[in-house]
Amino acid sequence: MSLNSSRSANSGERSKRSLNSTSSNPSNNSGKKRKTGNQKTLGMAWGSNSRSSSRSSFRNSPFSDFGSYMVEKNRKLQNQFDAGASSSSHSALSSGKPIFHGVSVFVDGFTIPSSQELRGYMMRHGGHFENYFSRHRVTHIICSNLPDSKIKNLRSFSGGLPVVKPTWVLDSVAANKLLSWIPYQLDQLANETRNQPKLSAFFALKSIPVFEDAVTHTTYPLVPETEDSVFKGGTSKDAVSSEGGQYLEYTRQSSGEIDDHQCENTNETIIEKPFSNDEKSSEIKMEEQSFSNQEEECSIKNELQSSPHRPSASVSSYYLDNARKESSSTTVVGCSNKGHSTLEDPNFVENYFKYSRLHFIGTWRNRYQKRFPRLSNEFKHTSSDLNASGVSQKNVIIHMDMDCFFVSVVIRNNPELQDKPVAVCHSNNPKGTAEISSANYPARDYGVKAGIFVRDAKALCPHLVIFPYNFEAYEEAVSCDEAFLEVMDSKEGDPELLASIIRKEIFETTGCTASAGIAGNLLMARLATRSAKPNGQCYIPVDKVDDYLHQLPIKALPGIGHVLEEKLRRRKVHTCGQLRMISKESLQRDFGTKTGDMLWNYCRGVDNRVVGVIQESKSIGAEVNWGVRFNDLKDSRHFLVNLCKEVTLRLKGCGVQGRTFTLKMKKRRKDAGEPAKYMGCGDCENLSHSMTVPLATDDVDVIQRIATQLFGFFHIDVKDIRGIGLQVSRLENADTAKQGHQRISIRSWLTSAPATNEELCKTSCLVRKERAVADGEKQSTDISLGQLSNDSKRPSLQMSPSSSNNEAPLNQVSELPALCDLDMGVLESLPPELLSEINDMYAGKLSDFIRKRKGKNENVSGTMCTTSYEIYEGAINNGKQLHCSIVPIRKTPVENKVEKTLDREIATENSLLQSSEVEKVKQYKIDEIQEVSVSGAVSLNVVDPASALEKSDLMPSSLSQVDISVLQQLPKEMWVDILEQLPVHRKPEHSSSAALDPLIANAQESLCFKHTENNSKSVDSVLGNNLWIGNPPQWVDKFKVSNCLLLNILAEMYYRSGSTGCLSSILQCTLSKFLLPLDASSDGWDETISSLCDLLKQYIKIKIESDIEEIYVCFRLLKRFTMKSKLFLEAYNVVFPYLQASAGENYGGSLQLSHAKE
Amino acid sequence: MNAVVQRARHPQLRDYIHSAVSGLLPFIQKGLVERVAVIFFNVDNIPIERFIFKLAVNQSYDSKVEEAALEFSLRSFLIKLPVSETLTKALPRDCRWEITAYFHSLPDASRSKDAEVWIPTDTKQWQTPPVISPIKSMTTEPLCLQLYLEHPSSSEPNS
Repeated sequence: MSLNSSRSANSGERSKRSLNSTSSNPSNNSGKKRKTGNQKTLGMAWGSNSRSSSRSSFRNSPFSDFGSYMVEKNRKLQNQFDAGASSSSHSALSSGKPIFHGVSVFVDGFTIPSSQELRGYMMRHGGHFENYFSRHRVTHIICSNLPDSKIKNLRSFSGGLPVVKPTWVLDSVAANKLLSWIPYQLDQLANETRNQPKLSAFFALKSIPVFEDAVTHTTYPLVPETEDSVFKGGTSKDAVSSEGGQYLEYTRQSSGEIDDHQCENTNETIIEKPFSNDEKSSEIKMEEQSFSNQEEECSIKNELQSSPHRPSASVSSYYLDNARKESSSTTVVGCSNKGHSTLEDPNFVENYFKYSRLHFIGTWRNRYQKRFPRLSNEFKHTSSDLNASGVSQKNVIIHMDMDCFFVSVVIRNNPELQDKPVAVCHSNNPKGTAEISSANYPARDYGVKAGIFVRDAKALCPHLVIFPYNFEAYEEAVSCDEAFLEVMDSKEGDPELLASIIRKEIFETTGCTASAGIAGNLLMARLATRSAKPNGQCYIPVDKVDDYLHQLPIKALPGIGHVLEEKLRRRKVHTCGQLRMISKESLQRDFGTKTGDMLWNYCRGVDNRVVGVIQESKSIGAEVNWGVRFNDLKDSRHFLVNLCKEVTLRLKGCGVQGRTFTLKMKKRRKDAGEPAKYMGCGDCENLSHSMTVPLATDDVDVIQRIATQLFGFFHIDVKDIRGIGLQVSRLENADTAKQGHQRISIRSWLTSAPATNEELCKTSCLVRKERAVADGEKQSTDISLGQLSNDSKRPSLQMSPSSSNNEAPLNQVSELPALCDLDMGVLESLPPELLSEINDMYAGKLSDFIRKRKGKNENVSGTMCTTSYEIYEGAINNGKQLHCSIVPIRKTPVENKVEKTLDREIATENSLLQSSEVEKVKQYKIDEIQEVSVSGAVSLNVVDPASALEKSDLMPSSLSQVDISVLQQLPKEMWVDILEQLPVHRKPEHSSSAALDPLIANAQESLCFKHTENNSKSVDSVLGNNLWIGNPPQWVDKFKVSNCLLLNILAEMYYRSGSTGCLSSILQCTLSKFLLPLDASSDGWDETISSLCDLLKQYIKIKIESDIEEIYVCFRLLKRFTMKSKLFLEAYNVVFPYLQASAGENYGGSLQLSHAKE
Repeated sequence: MNAVVQRARHPQLRDYIHSAVSGLLPFIQKGLVERVAVIFFNVDNIPIERFIFKLAVNQSYDSKVEEAALEFSLRSFLIKLPVSETLTKALPRDCRWEITAYFHSLPDASRSKDAEVWIPTDTKQWQTPPVISPIKSMTTEPLCLQLYLEHPSSSEPNS
C-alpha cells in the first residue's frame, strides 16, 4: 500500500509490459489504450479542476465508475497520509500549532526537492498533501515551472489558488513558521500579478541622486586636435554642469602632471602641446578658484570645440541632449521620479550607465587617454629624452590614491563630520540592501567597508552617518581617484619629497587627502600606498621589497581574487613568501601560463608594466546586470536595441570597430529566490554566445542585428534574465578599416582564415596597406583576374588563391607568394601566356614546381590505397589556400615519402621567400609535416612519432605540460629524445604570436589525443577524427571559407546552434532556419559531397561508441534533408553503408532509421 | 532521484528484479559488465525484443563524481524510457522475459559469492544482426550508459 502512495498521478497506470509479462492476463489486451485514455482524462480533470467536470469526462470511458473510484482512492491516500503524519509527528516536537496547519498542497510536475520530500515536510509539520488536485481541498499549488498553456489559462488551472515555488515550503520549515507565500510566487506568474518588484517601481523608490556619470564623454574621441567646431555652442548650463565634472577630473589630473613636470623643469612640453594658451589659462584658473559657472561654461566650450567631428556630429549632439535632460532631472535632488524602467523609459540603458559609479571609473581611463594622446606621447617622448641625457637612471613610480574619495568629498563639505564614521551610499534606508560605496577610516574601524549592505553596516556601527552621493560635490571632484607617476630619480633627488609636495597640493586644491606609495614599479607602488593610507606616504626601496613582500598576504596582490586565493589557500599558500616557494613551471601548469607568470612575478615584486603605456583595449562592451527584469520578448528586444546603441557609441568613442560579438546573459537559477540585493541579479547562471563577422563594424544596425540573432540562440525565458552584456572584441582601428574598404573581398577572406595564420595575414595586410594607394588601380585588375580564373575549372574553391596569385606579379618581388601557395588547379587553367608571365616572376621556378608537384601527386596517388587523388590534392590545396597548418592533409593515409617531399618543398620555398616570412611559413610547413607524419605514423606504424615531434614547434614549453602518461607509454629512447627536444623548442613557441597560442594548444591536444588513441585503439579509428578536433572544430573554419553555400550555412549554424559541437543541434538549426532549396548552386557538387561525407564519417567514428543516440538523431534529421536536397541525398547514400557498418562493428546490428509507424 | 518510475507490484517479480539488479552491482562496479539486456521471448523462447543497456564505467575515475550532473543524466534516462513505447511493437501473448548480463569475461564463481547467483545462459540468438533503435545515451563521468532496442531484422527467418 505504501507503494501506491509513493506514486503520483500515474500510479493507476500499469504498463502493458508488466501486465503481459507478469500475469499474462488475457482479459487485458486492450489495457494500453484504456490506460492512455485514463491518463489523459486525469490531466483534463486536473486542468479544469472541478470534480463534476472530471466525472462527466469520464462518462465516455469504459469505467463508468471512475469518479467513484477516484473518490475512494483519494480517501485511501488521505488515510495513509494521516496515518503517516500521526506517526511522524509523534516524534516531532509539536508544541503549539504546527507550521503548516490548515495548509494543503498539491505538487505539480518536477520540483526540487521532489514531491515525496515535500510530502514528508507537510506530513511532519501538520500540513496536508494532495495527490490529486481539488479546488476544495488544496490551498497551495507547488511547482517549479508551468507549461505555457497553464500560464495562459491560469485561473482554470489553479482555481485562483496561489501557485508557489517549493522553496516556500523549505523556507517555512527553516524559519519554523508559515511564511507569506507572496515572495515565493512562481516567477512566471509573478509578473502578471505584479508582486515582483519591477523596474518601474525601482526608479521611483530610489529617490537618491546617483552622481552623474558622464558616459557622454566616451562618445567624444576627445582628441584635442584643432578642428572646426561641430557644436553650435547651444550647450545649456545643465549640460555644462555634467561636463564640468569630467572636465575637472582632467584638470586635476593634468595638474598632477604639471606638478610633476614642474619639478622636472619640463613643463613647457605639456603647455605647448595639446591646448591653446587661453584654454590652458582657463583651466588653471578653474582649478584654483572654485568653479564659477562662467568659467565652466567657457572651458566646456573650449573643450567641445576641441572635439573633432569624427564620430558623426549627430551622435554626439544626441548624447549631449541626453546628458542635458539627465542632469536636469538629477540636479534636483531626490526627485527623479520620472518613469525609469525598461518598460517605461526607453533610455534605460543610457541612464543605467550614467548612474553607474563603477562604469564611470571603468571608462574613465579610456576617456582620459583619448583626450591626451598627444600629451602622453609627448610625455613619453620627453621622458625618453631625459633618459637619453639623464645621469643615473633609476626610475621611481609614485602611486597617488585619494583616501576614501567619495567620503572625503562629503567630509570636506561637512567638516563637523571629520572624525565620525561616515559612509556614502545611494540609499539611507537602514534595512536597505544598498551597498556602501565608500566609508571613511573611523567607519572602517567598525568593520564597515565598501561593498557591504547598509543594514549590515548599521548593525556594525549604529551611529554611522550615511550620505547619499553628493551630486554637486562630485560635480567638482568627480574622477577616478588614483594615478601613477613615473619620476626620474636623478633629478629631484628624493621622490618622497616630491610625493609630499603633490599630496600637499592636492589637499590644498581639493580639500581631500591623498596617500602616496613610492617604489620601483607599479606593483610595489600600489602596495606601498596600502601601507601609507590614510593620508600618508610610504617608500619601499628596491632592497626592502623582499622583506615587505615576505609576510604580505597573497590577497593583497592585485589580480588575486577570491577564487585564486581559495585555490592557493588549498595549497597552504597564504603569504607571498610561501608563494615564492612554488616554481614558475608548476604555477603555470596549475593556473595557466599568464596567471602563473603573474603570480610568480608578483610575489617577487616584479612588475614590468610601464607607466603611461596605453594598453589597447581588446574588447569593448557594456553589461547591465542590475535592475534587469523583462515581462516579455518585446521588452528584452527593446533593451537589447538600447544596449547596442550604447556599445556602438563606445566603439565610436574609441574609434574602433569589432568583428566578434559576444552576448552574455545572466539567467536566474531555477531555485534562486529574489536576490538579497534589491533588484540585483542574485544567483545566476552565466551564459554566452558569440559570433564573428568577416568585416569589422561599428554600425548600430548591424550590431543590433547580430545581437538579436545571438539573443535568439539562448532560448531562455525573458523573465529569467537578470543581466545582459554585449561585448565586442577583435577590434580594428576604424580608420584602417575604412581605408581597407576597397579591399573588402580579399580582406574578408583573409581575416576569416583560421587563426594560425592570422598573424601572417596581418603582416601581409600591413604591407599591403602601405602600398594600398599605389596598388589602388591594380586592385581592380587583381579582382577581375581572379574572377577570370574563377570561371575556370574549379570555381568553388579557388576564388581567393587565384586573386592572390594574380596579385603576386603585380605586387612584384617583395610579395611573391610562396610557390607552395600557388594553386595547381588555377595554374593549370590559366592561359599559357599568363602562366609564362608568372613563371617569369618566379624566375622560372614555377614550371619546375608544377612539374614537381605533379610528379609528387602521382607519387602519392600511386601509393594511396583508398583516398582518391582529387581529395588529396584538394586537401593540399585547401591547406595551402588557408595557410592553415592543421587542415585536412591528414585525412589521407600518407607515406613517409610525403614527408620528405614536403621537406624538399620547404627548401625550395625558403630560397624564394623573403627572410621575414621564411620563419612563419616554415613554421606552418613544419606543422603540416608534423601532422602528416603523425598520421603516417599512426596508419603505418612506420614513422617514429618522435621524429614528428622533433619537427614540431608544438612542443610544450615546459615539461610540466607534458602528459606524463603519454610519455610513459612511449619506448624509452623515444621519450629521452623528446625530453632533449624540450628546451630547444621553447624558442619557437615564444616567437609565435599570441594568436597562435590557442591553436597550438589545440594541436597539442590533438597530438596527445592521437598518442593515446594510438596506444589503445585500432589504427582505423585514429585516422579520421581530425575534422572534429578543436573548438570550434576544424570543419567549421574549413566550411566557412568554402565557396559552397551549403557548407557555409553549416558552418554558420555551428555558431548559431550554440557551438555545442553536436551535429544534431546544428542540423536541427539548419532545418528550421533554411527552408529554401539547399542545392541551388550546382558548382563544386562533388567536393561538397565529399567534404560532407568526411564530416559525417568522422562524426560517426567519434560518436558511435559512446553516443549512438546522437548519431541516430543526426541521421534521422539528415533523412529529412534528403527529401529537400539531392545533395544531401547523395551524401546520405554514401555515408549510410558506412554508418551501418560501424553500427554493426560496435553493436552487432544495424541501425533502424525508419519506423513502420512513420 | 525525483522522477516517477514504474514498479512491479507482484512481490516475487519485484524481488526478481531487485535481486537481479543488485546482484549485478558488484560486477558493474568492477567494470566486468558490458551490457545488460532485458530480453522478451515469445512462446517458442525466441527473443523478439531486447532492451540493451550498454555500460561503460570509468574505473580510473575515483573521486569527485559530479552528482548533480550524474543525477541529471540519469533522470533524463528515466524520463526517456517510458516514452520509448512508440519504438516497440505490441507483444504477442504469453511472453516471458529475463534479465541477461553480458560480461567482458566470465567471473570466477568460486572466488566471489555474488557470482554464484548467476547462471550462464543459453539464450537463443538471432541468426542475422538485429535492427537497432537507440533510445537514450548519456556520457557522464564516471558512467556512460546507452540504452537501445534490438529487434530481429526483417530478414530474420521467422520461426
